[in-house]
Amino acid sequence: MKKKGSFLYSQKAAPFVFVLPFVITFIIFWVYPLISAFVMSTQNIGAVSREFIGFKNYAKLLKDNVFHQAVANSFEYMVLTCALLIPFPMLYAVLLDGKLVKGKGIWKALMYVPALTSVVISGTLFRLMFTEYRTGQMNVLLALIGLPAFKWLKVKWTSEIALLVLCCWRWTGVNTLYFMSGLKSIDKGLYEAGSIDGANKWQMFRYITIPLLKPTTIYVLTISIYAGLSMFLESFMLWAGNDSPKNIGLTIVGYLYKRGIQKNDMGYACAVGVVLLVLAMIINFTQLIINGQFKKEEK
Amino acid sequence: MAEVTAMAPSREVEEKNVNKTVKNVATVVCTGFFLFLSLILVYPLFCGLIASFRPGRELIRRGLALNLDPSEISLNNYLYLFSNNADSKKYWMWFKNSMVLTLVTVFLTLIVCYFVSYGVTMYKTKLGSVIYILVIATMMVPFEILMMPLYQEMIDIKLVDTMGGVILPGLCAASTIFFFHQYMISLPKDLLDAGRIDGANEYYIAVRIMMPICKPAFSAMAILCAMGSWNNMLWPLMVFRSASKFTLTIGLNTLLTPYGNNYDVLIAGSMLAIVPIMAVFLVFQRYIIDGITTGAVKG
Amino acid sequence: MKRKFLSTLMAGALAASMLTGCASAAATDSEAAPATDDAGVEAEAGTEAEASAEAVTTEGDPNGTHMEMWSFVEAHNTFYAKMLQKWNEENPDRTIEITFTTYPYADMHQKLLMSLQGGEGAPDLCDVEMGQVPNIYEGLDTWLQPLDDAMAPYAADMLTSRLDAYKGSDGKQYGAPFHVGATVMYYNLAAMEEAGLSQADIDAVETWDDWKALGKKYLDAIGNPDGKYWTSVDTGGCDWQWIAMAEYGEDWTGGFDNKANVELPSVKKMCQFEQDMLNEGIAEVSPDGHTDLEAGYQNILDHNIVAFPKAMWYMSRFTNYMPEEAGNWYIAKCPVFEKGQNCSVGIGGTGTVVTKQSSDPELAADFLCFAKMSPEGENVIWQDLGFDVCNTSLWTDDAFAHDDSNQYNKFFRNYPYDVLASIKDQIGTVMTVSISPTINEYMCNTTLNEMFEDGMSVDDALAEAQGAIELEE
Repeated sequence: MKKKGSFLYSQKAAPFVFVLPFVITFIIFWVYPLISAFVMSTQNIGAVSREFIGFKNYAKLLKDNVFHQAVANSFEYMVLTCALLIPFPMLYAVLLDGKLVKGKGIWKALMYVPALTSVVISGTLFRLMFTEYRTGQMNVLLALIGLPAFKWLKVKWTSEIALLVLCCWRWTGVNTLYFMSGLKSIDKGLYEAGSIDGANKWQMFRYITIPLLKPTTIYVLTISIYAGLSMFLESFMLWAGNDSPKNIGLTIVGYLYKRGIQKNDMGYACAVGVVLLVLAMIINFTQLIINGQFKKEEK
Repeated sequence: MAEVTAMAPSREVEEKNVNKTVKNVATVVCTGFFLFLSLILVYPLFCGLIASFRPGRELIRRGLALNLDPSEISLNNYLYLFSNNADSKKYWMWFKNSMVLTLVTVFLTLIVCYFVSYGVTMYKTKLGSVIYILVIATMMVPFEILMMPLYQEMIDIKLVDTMGGVILPGLCAASTIFFFHQYMISLPKDLLDAGRIDGANEYYIAVRIMMPICKPAFSAMAILCAMGSWNNMLWPLMVFRSASKFTLTIGLNTLLTPYGNNYDVLIAGSMLAIVPIMAVFLVFQRYIIDGITTGAVKG
Repeated sequence: MKRKFLSTLMAGALAASMLTGCASAAATDSEAAPATDDAGVEAEAGTEAEASAEAVTTEGDPNGTHMEMWSFVEAHNTFYAKMLQKWNEENPDRTIEITFTTYPYADMHQKLLMSLQGGEGAPDLCDVEMGQVPNIYEGLDTWLQPLDDAMAPYAADMLTSRLDAYKGSDGKQYGAPFHVGATVMYYNLAAMEEAGLSQADIDAVETWDDWKALGKKYLDAIGNPDGKYWTSVDTGGCDWQWIAMAEYGEDWTGGFDNKANVELPSVKKMCQFEQDMLNEGIAEVSPDGHTDLEAGYQNILDHNIVAFPKAMWYMSRFTNYMPEEAGNWYIAKCPVFEKGQNCSVGIGGTGTVVTKQSSDPELAADFLCFAKMSPEGENVIWQDLGFDVCNTSLWTDDAFAHDDSNQYNKFFRNYPYDVLASIKDQIGTVMTVSISPTINEYMCNTTLNEMFEDGMSVDDALAEAQGAIELEE
């Protein structure tokens, strides 16, 4: 392990060796298919033929009301999940990191269980819980407080609730885990110092925990934006497929799937994908710039 | 943080007692809160578990209702899975395929991603910054966009129906690299120099000095990767052609058809599918709890 | 430290594999042996190969022509395996061996399409669900083997209107159907008898108005309680509209060449009829959108509705999911708007295709037609799958249709095939062409919901649908 003479072992070459696997897979499994996707988005891809049609697919997207609705749904979902899945998991992580909670191991494990469940089963379970029939758990709850059964998955705002419940159910544990991992990297000595300076718990949370958790928070925010915009399976699970009443559950990726796989219109699906890509890029880069992620490199 | 308060300069005895009572109340409240939260999160799965002990058609008759008829509770669904018949043979084949795929995926992904983010984070090179931006860029492209072109590519390079075809495109998981990166930037770089002064080469430092420090990150990512791989469906489904290679999620999904669902095997099989991934979680979770305290870095 | 990490990883793997290993009765001894470190992965891989060897379903004569067959329903593959055995017995000079694979529904079609487009990797034989037919048929005879020659021996007995549904735009037959999927009316006769009605009341029904009047009579007899209805109308399926179109001989797809038009008089008439029943409290909207989902079964089991039209393949839903309903239900033909009209339409179904990539397309086609069209095959289809077979010569065959050991004959009050035989010449067809999925999707997602949930007027809702569909054409 100590052949220092070799170039490969030098401090100059090492970083290149480290990132090599990424560069290779990046080119083969990312750049190439992405370019193909762009190319395909300018084609009309039939069963046996494909022809170049320029930006006609994009022009059609501009007029496509269903697509607009899908974008609105995805966007709404993304904003709401970010609002729910960052502050609460952070709070849970801080609580679980402190001394006030007993039996932490059990709670952590239990909170994480939903994420371990396959979508096939959790989809069936949630569909049955939110069913409009009176045997659904949600309607049983309503019956307990004397209300009639409700058509949860046929009304926009209640189906939104169902989606958010499902999303929080699946991901709260995961995000809490991220934050706990982030908390572990905070030097406990800082809290001792803060305490000696007479800071109260809130101040320590505000001026030590939150700033030092920032890298983790940015990470969670980034993946939440990405996951929110590309949400598909949750909706696919709740409605037992890609069709929901008046498209209240249709998302951008759902629409991509519908066009590309269910209707075999790959060119149009790729155009949907490219629009999603641009949207996600704009939002996430804005967020990262605001949060100063690129400052280091700009120096 | 509670213990920090306790270490505050001693006051009068009564005040101490009051503090203690407040602390006890807070402990009960916080613990109670997590008990409540966990119950809510586990409830749907509990319903599913109960349902798995009842005949599949009961699921249709009563939904997930918990008002049980004890005479219906039986181990039949599980006994069926453990007895020697065509369904159970298939089920266990899926199970093993999932297991192998998950193990290989987690192992390779963690190693590769660790080194890539190490190369990006620990060396201040231009290349590192560029790669970092590329990593973020890949994260923002939903996989669904690339899926179709990628599938074509897999056919061209003969990776269809192989494990490599499933694993390789996701090998450099951007989210994993990003997480390692976020974790590592909070680590002091002096350790590297210390290592170099001691005469260690770059790879030795990466493996022997830095890797142990990143153990919490490894644990968190191992859980997430395993979970992602275990429950991944869309891509393996495209790549695998032969039934003998199907994983659990694909297999269980074959039980849901437009011509009726095989609820008996589905529910019991899905519940059983949570067991191994849960085991992985419990093993690695301990490392997160033990945390970085052992490897605490102070220059 | 790295070693320690590795070993924990392996420990986790081992713990997990032990769990499965111990549990699995099918597992072999080799699994119980503790695997150490790196060997763990190898050992796992080894047992995996062993296990898969026994679980793959390859059937037939190992010396025969080898073929691949895909389906999205396990039971279909079991059926083909049974027919394969018969084929090999009867054709010792043309034996076949088939490897069967069951895929998840949507993905099998996607995979098939990709492999047809890519020109390689397609199976020899493949099930295609009705809704996916337009996609798979797009390549016509460059992709698929026409079945016209192979089905010649049976064609005379087959129900023409059903075969037509699986024809390509070039007029050739590419898909072999499992069933007619004829729509009939299911009545909960037991519940109706409790309300003082009888089978004669049902048999007297001819028009939809008669039918609605009978519903009113039933509801009055039980005192119009909350939550009880005569029927439920669908927002997640177009069955009712299809029946109406068949009655008037219309087709909203316009067939292969014409423009789609959902503003047909028949469709309007049916939608209005459904909306009226909702307003009068005779019908409710089907929970979950249609009767073929969990809540739909619950609704039937709770006797909240006692009559509904559905294809004959729905019989197997009764035996599978509602066995406690045995003996309660009576099957009759659907009412019509005007006397003398067709009263049924073929809905749903699976057309099995032979691909041009097959190692022997003619042989595959011959086997397929034998399996799905010969009297022997039809017999197995009826006994095992419970479908209303397309071979009309059997409908009146006493041994076939009146077999009292058959579970469906036992389950229902009357013989299902008697109903089918009585409507033999009254079964219409609605084509499935490339615009069909769009129409179906728009109706089920938007239009039917607007009409039945929100009370939008039929004309407005259909006009909106027509606009949206025209955009897609």
